[in-house]
Amino acid sequence: MDQDLEKEPDEESTVLIWLTGIVFFAAIAAIFIIVPTEKTEGPIQRIMYLHIPSAWLAFFAFFIVFISSILFLWKKEREWDIYAHASAEIGVVFCSLVLITGPIWAKPIWGTWWVWDARLTSTLILWLIYVAYLMLRSQTDAGSMRARYAAVLGIVGFLNIPFIHFSVLWWRTFHPQPKVISSEGFGKGMDTSMLATLGVSLCAFTLLYFLLMGQRIRLERLKDEVDRLKRQKLYSS
Amino acid sequence: MNLYFNQISAIVWKDFVTELKTRELFSSMFIFALLVILIFIFSINLSIVKASEVGPGVLWVAFLFAGTIGLNRSFMLEKENGCLTGLMLVPADRTAIYFGKLISNFIFLLIMEFFILPLFMIFFNVDLLAHIGSLATVVLLGTLGFCALGTLLSSLSSNLKTREIMLPILLYPLLIPIVIGVVRMTGQILEGIPLSDMMKWIGLTASFDIIYIGVSIMTIDHILEE
Repeated sequence: MDQDLEKEPDEESTVLIWLTGIVFFAAIAAIFIIVPTEKTEGPIQRIMYLHIPSAWLAFFAFFIVFISSILFLWKKEREWDIYAHASAEIGVVFCSLVLITGPIWAKPIWGTWWVWDARLTSTLILWLIYVAYLMLRSQTDAGSMRARYAAVLGIVGFLNIPFIHFSVLWWRTFHPQPKVISSEGFGKGMDTSMLATLGVSLCAFTLLYFLLMGQRIRLERLKDEVDRLKRQKLYSS
Repeated sequence: MNLYFNQISAIVWKDFVTELKTRELFSSMFIFALLVILIFIFSINLSIVKASEVGPGVLWVAFLFAGTIGLNRSFMLEKENGCLTGLMLVPADRTAIYFGKLISNFIFLLIMEFFILPLFMIFFNVDLLAHIGSLATVVLLGTLGFCALGTLLSSLSSNLKTREIMLPILLYPLLIPIVIGVVRMTGQILEGIPLSDMMKWIGLTASFDIIYIGVSIMTIDHILEE
């Protein structure tokens, strides 16, 4: 166990750190140097290359929370609880980034920081759900109860997404229609270089997710190990 | 199967007897809902806005807030004196406890709503009697969804240290879809639009109810586990 903890992060995560660094460097270069400025929106449009990947990452992270929660309730293994916790934290961070970059982009384009449009509203609700999830985790003591409760909320929260989507969509919407994947086909609404930049940026963010996940999981395992050693010490003395 | 229903009705009956003896839940829920409506009336100028536009929102916010009091009470009552442990020691399925609690919460809320609606009609000067059938459908669907998710989460939050605070924080974001749905539907009903014109909202609320009752059946075992 001890050897495992020390050896594992070194080899795998060094490769991942380098890979993420390189891809991120490429993404930043592409966003700020290579890709042409959008004609109508101007330089502010470049924020899209951070906004969309953050949104994708937040949804992906919440999906992982959902899957891990189901697997935890099924198998009752601590591992799945760690995955759910780590993924929820990352998801909330990137969901916050979406909510921050969104208004920055919206102010010059729509003329207002915030509109009660479908996707903004649903992202905000989603953020609230997962902040509540993390609050629930911090309110309960470590142990099987916390893991079970969090897992139930992880499932209930993710199943809420379709309901949120349709209810706020029918409520009102004026977000730009999806441009990357539209009814006309993949990537018709965008220039090739823009699409490529977005692709690189998506890759970079996805790699960052796995990097952060790896670190967060390792941290949680170390915490468990410290707890175990403390208890061992306590009972042996 | 018969035994299962007996168990559920025993739990519902127990809640009713407690409520008849103490009479604290219903009165506090009713007065609280009334206060919420009054505060909204003072904070909006009814001579400027149309009553049928803001009314439904005010009504459902009152139901939601008062309902949260009921939900908080429902499992806290069981936590005092270790009643919940007693309930769990009964050789009954855990889902029976859930359904018993769901039904008693549902009925308490419906009684409260039954008394609030006439007052709402008077204060906002709207005619509810003309569309009483469709209004009843919407109220039933909305309240069922609220209770389905609320009972699950209150069984969860009753074990936390800060239960009164955590229940609304956990519950309200998840309830937003159903709140948008019922407020929209109630507004349209007040404008005289028939129920058949809002099938998509009915579908949304009904599937919300069904899915969350289903999820609760599957997960309640993991919450009520000591």
